Amino acid sequence: MNIKKYFTPAHISIGIVCLLLAFFITMQIKSVNVINKNGNTDKLRAENLAMELKNEQEKNIELNKQLLLAKQEIDSFKEEAAETNGYSQTLTTQLQRAELLAGLTAVEGSGVQVTLNDSNAINNLPENANAYVIHDMDILQVINELRDAGAEAIALNGERIVSTSEIRCAGATVSVNNNRYSIPYVITAIGDPVNMENALLMRNGVVDSLTFYGFDIEVKKVNSIKLNAYTGPLNYKYAVPSKITTNTQTNGGQ
Amino acid sequence: MIIIMCLLLGVVIALALPFTFSSIVSKFISVGILAALDSVFGGLAASANNSFKMKIFVTGFFGNALVAVLLTYMGSLLNIDLTIAAIVVFGTRIFQNFAILRRFVLERYMSKKETKNL
Repeated sequence: MNIKKYFTPAHISIGIVCLLLAFFITMQIKSVNVINKNGNTDKLRAENLAMELKNEQEKNIELNKQLLLAKQEIDSFKEEAAETNGYSQTLTTQLQRAELLAGLTAVEGSGVQVTLNDSNAINNLPENANAYVIHDMDILQVINELRDAGAEAIALNGERIVSTSEIRCAGATVSVNNNRYSIPYVITAIGDPVNMENALLMRNGVVDSLTFYGFDIEVKKVNSIKLNAYTGPLNYKYAVPSKITTNTQTNGGQ
Repeated sequence: MIIIMCLLLGVVIALALPFTFSSIVSKFISVGILAALDSVFGGLAASANNSFKMKIFVTGFFGNALVAVLLTYMGSLLNIDLTIAAIVVFGTRIFQNFAILRRFVLERYMSKKETKNL
């Protein structure tokens, strides 16, 4: 076997070419495999995330149940405390008042129920379908009117409106206490039913202006409705009760 | 012999290296590989015709690959998918060269058969 025959310039250059070609093809196959795998993991990730979301939601429901139980326990403790002596009795009434104001207790009483639904009217204004959909602003208007008319407790689709509640557009839904609700929007308010109904139905009032667009609005007086307590988180990070002092500086600008 | 050894060596080196190309680089490399494959088939067809020239083969191999990569890069800058141009051109040429090669091999095989029969 003549070794020299295999090391002519031609063979060497062809050898180098083959080496390079083989190297790059193998590298490419390796890379493509890795890239494809990554693509698949993206899909897997989405599935995993969906699973995680479902798990978290289930956990959430479970925790909510626990929260309700804990609240019942607290209530029973409060009752016990109230029975023992006068000081705790006054504290309890104060606490009750504060909780009522904050919307932390379920309340019932007479009031109104307002149902808002999207318009059934034929869209005469071209490219303005938005005008026929109930918006967060419409709900806010109704709630504002109810508050003005002396509503003491308000809920939207069962979600209690408290001092920190937002009513905000969230796509096709409305976000309240970070929970999303869609049509029909049922606003329940406890207060003087006649007063509140009149406030809503007055000429050029909220209902009047909304029915102009053909919104399906129903205002109903009810003798007894029950509103659930606010169950969201109560984390006050920035607002700290300030101490009352004699030379208070809080009323600056005098 | 040396060709097979070099092919194996290339595969081994590639497998031994720990890194892989990113998806962007991979796009250019694929076009480069296509151009190189075209050169190889061209070289094989030329050797079948007895018109194989080493310098033309080697410059064609590197030149085609480089131009193909540069063209693809320019296409990505201009937002034109010039990889398609490279794929069509080199793909067609690979098939043509393969056809030449096939004819050469078949003819040689048939002529051998004829000489045997005579």
